[in-house]
Amino acid sequence: MNGRLLSVGIAQEHDIVFARQRARQIAGLLGFDPTDQTRIATVVSELSRNAFQYAGGGTVQFEIQGTSVPQVLAIAVSDVGPGIPHVDEVLGGAYRSDTGMGLGIAGTRRLVDRFTIETSSRGTHIVARKLLPRRGKVLTQPDIAELARQLAQHRPQGMLEEVQLQNQELLRTLDELRRRQDELERVNGELQDTNRGVVALYAELDERADHLRRADELKTKFLSNMTHEFRTPVNSILALASLLQDRLGSDPSQKDEVYYIRRSAQQLSELVNDLLDIAKVEAGKIDVRPSPFEVDALFGALRGMLRPLLVNQSLALVFEEASGVPPVLSDESKVSQILRNFISNALKYTERGEVRVAARLNDTGDRIIFSVADTGIGIPEADIARVFDEFVQIENPLQRRSKGTGLGLPLSRRLAELLGGSIHVTSTLGVGSTFALELPLVFRDPITARPIRIEPGRVPVLVVDDSEEEMLIYERALMGTRFQVVPTRSSATALAAISAVRPAAIILDVWLQTEDSWELLTRLRHDDATCDIPVVIISASDDRQKGLALGANEYPLKPIDRERLLGTLDRLTVGSPRARILSIDDEETFRFIIGEMLAEGFEVRCAGSGEEGLRTARTWLPDIVLLDLELGDVHGSEVQRRLREDPITSDVPIVILSSQPVSEALHAGADAVLPKAALSRERLLETIRATLAAGHGANATRSRG
Amino acid sequence: MERIPILKMGPFLLVTIQVDMHDRLAMQLQDDLTTRIADTSARGVLIDISALEMVDSFIGRMLANIAGMSRVLDAETVVVGMRPAVAITLVELGMSLTGVRTALDVERGMALLGSAQRR
Repeated sequence: MNGRLLSVGIAQEHDIVFARQRARQIAGLLGFDPTDQTRIATVVSELSRNAFQYAGGGTVQFEIQGTSVPQVLAIAVSDVGPGIPHVDEVLGGAYRSDTGMGLGIAGTRRLVDRFTIETSSRGTHIVARKLLPRRGKVLTQPDIAELARQLAQHRPQGMLEEVQLQNQELLRTLDELRRRQDELERVNGELQDTNRGVVALYAELDERADHLRRADELKTKFLSNMTHEFRTPVNSILALASLLQDRLGSDPSQKDEVYYIRRSAQQLSELVNDLLDIAKVEAGKIDVRPSPFEVDALFGALRGMLRPLLVNQSLALVFEEASGVPPVLSDESKVSQILRNFISNALKYTERGEVRVAARLNDTGDRIIFSVADTGIGIPEADIARVFDEFVQIENPLQRRSKGTGLGLPLSRRLAELLGGSIHVTSTLGVGSTFALELPLVFRDPITARPIRIEPGRVPVLVVDDSEEEMLIYERALMGTRFQVVPTRSSATALAAISAVRPAAIILDVWLQTEDSWELLTRLRHDDATCDIPVVIISASDDRQKGLALGANEYPLKPIDRERLLGTLDRLTVGSPRARILSIDDEETFRFIIGEMLAEGFEVRCAGSGEEGLRTARTWLPDIVLLDLELGDVHGSEVQRRLREDPITSDVPIVILSSQPVSEALHAGADAVLPKAALSRERLLETIRATLAAGHGANATRSRG
Repeated sequence: MERIPILKMGPFLLVTIQVDMHDRLAMQLQDDLTTRIADTSARGVLIDISALEMVDSFIGRMLANIAGMSRVLDAETVVVGMRPAVAITLVELGMSLTGVRTALDVERGMALLGSAQRR
């Protein structure tokens, strides 16, 4: 039986003292006489000093061994030092250490009953054993535990040890903290690296997305241009081949050759038409022409159209009765195109059985579902999503026999979306597929669905912007002003809106979803009805020169704040169409300044003398005359008098712009006075606007020369 | 820094070791004592170890060193008050404290130093 009493660590010099005091205490508790207590304390002192001195530290363990009298006190001193090199000499007492001691181990042997030493390069383990006094009773495990408890309670040199323990504890904690901090720093560094990586990745993704967007735009443009270019020559070939075929004589091989030319051209033409359709849909150029039609009639037409495709005797094309379905208001030709596509696909991929075409209403009765079910080869589940990708055809033996561009389904889906519907596919490999087209029973143009109603007293401002957020911003900005936003998201809807409501101004974004608005701007400017509507291009795309060259009135860059937007609109819609302003001033510089200040939003003419001014006023009939007083020939007051006397110009508002003080009389005769010293663009515009507004009632009905 | 006090008594220095000395304290005492002998031209040193419950080889060697050094400095050293158990252990350990004169208690130690003085 081994019963551990106590273990003391030797890490500092003080620990040697502590260890020998403990040894003495234990010896006392175990009933050793004072001499033996001193011996045991000395042994521990020697051995622990050796451990400290030569190994930098170690542990001292006190144990009770044995179950019968006499039991043994075993004191084990261990260290992990380099070992004792001349252990035999040391034990023999022949060795003198450099420190002048060397008595330690050899002398210690004599103080105990049994002494064992194991030493190697990995450390030294010494056990000194002393027999317990015979007079005591045998110590049992609980006794030993009790002793251990007492030892734990009674610590010699409490204060010092306490401080020491706390110190050690502190050092350990500090060490731990330092380790944690290192760990944190390392993790932090790693995170930073990761972060950098993520940021870089983001930038790369952004760039890629941008590339893709541009590539897609390019593709659409390319497609629509190319297909147009293709169509003309292909049509020529077709027509010429027809002519040639009719005119050919009896040579059958020639006839065949021409027939094949014609057939190839026909296929090419179909391909081009499909491509063109896709390009058109992508560019938003396909118009929906809704009209009411009966489903039965549609089925009848389809039956007639598709029967020639039905060459296989073991395959039936069945159109189900659709008498219970009400008439549909949608674009019949597009519905027909989608169904034709479904059916010809179904016929293509079905060898025997039937292709069944049906129509029914959905549960709520506001949408119609056309379905084309076949008993063909089916589509593997993994490929179902892919059939709507452009140019994709699923690999299979039947596929190779049939021609096709792989554009049919993508086009059908786009058309369905255009009609406010959707396409669904269910398919089981080897059993068949069902393609379903779901449409609203009544087609509603998402834009024209909302009738434009201009509130009384407000001026419509047409906003062409495909972004909902931007639209909301405009609507907020113009809320509570005299302008009312008429929202449109594409060129086509913008034109429709203009024909319905003539806007006082148009705000254009350059990049719309599938188009740019340059073409719209050109069209607006070329059309007599719209050429004088002011157009403001507000765009993130900086192409000011081009915008102004194409006829835009203003081109502020995004973002534009409310004040500027209102200012711009105010300026552009003042007395729209543009107010005519006649500036009479003999100073050329000043005329130039006025011209510059009013260049936007006004039509300005200048007169260098009083006489010239009066002439121009009579013939041109300005909305306002800006009059200087110091003129070369006649005084401003004279000009004012004659303008007022002449019935033609008598009610033209006059704004006196002078560097001289203005007399009472003149002041009374003028509509406004603006000292030249206080002249600024803002003041001038403000004065003009106020004057125009004041004189509006009187002048509005005046006809123009 | 803890130190063991060294008292001057006439021509002698008196050191009473009251604590269980750790090694550095012992070395410190050795240094302090030699310095004081030189400073005070003391003729004798009396070291009272009656409070020590144990003298191991290090402390034993230290006592021997002090005796040797003070002799070189022309001072006699007497160690007094050694407990019997300590004496037994020292002998068993193989330390003979050569050159260290001993006396049973302080009184006899002083007498010993005094007689050495008169000689």
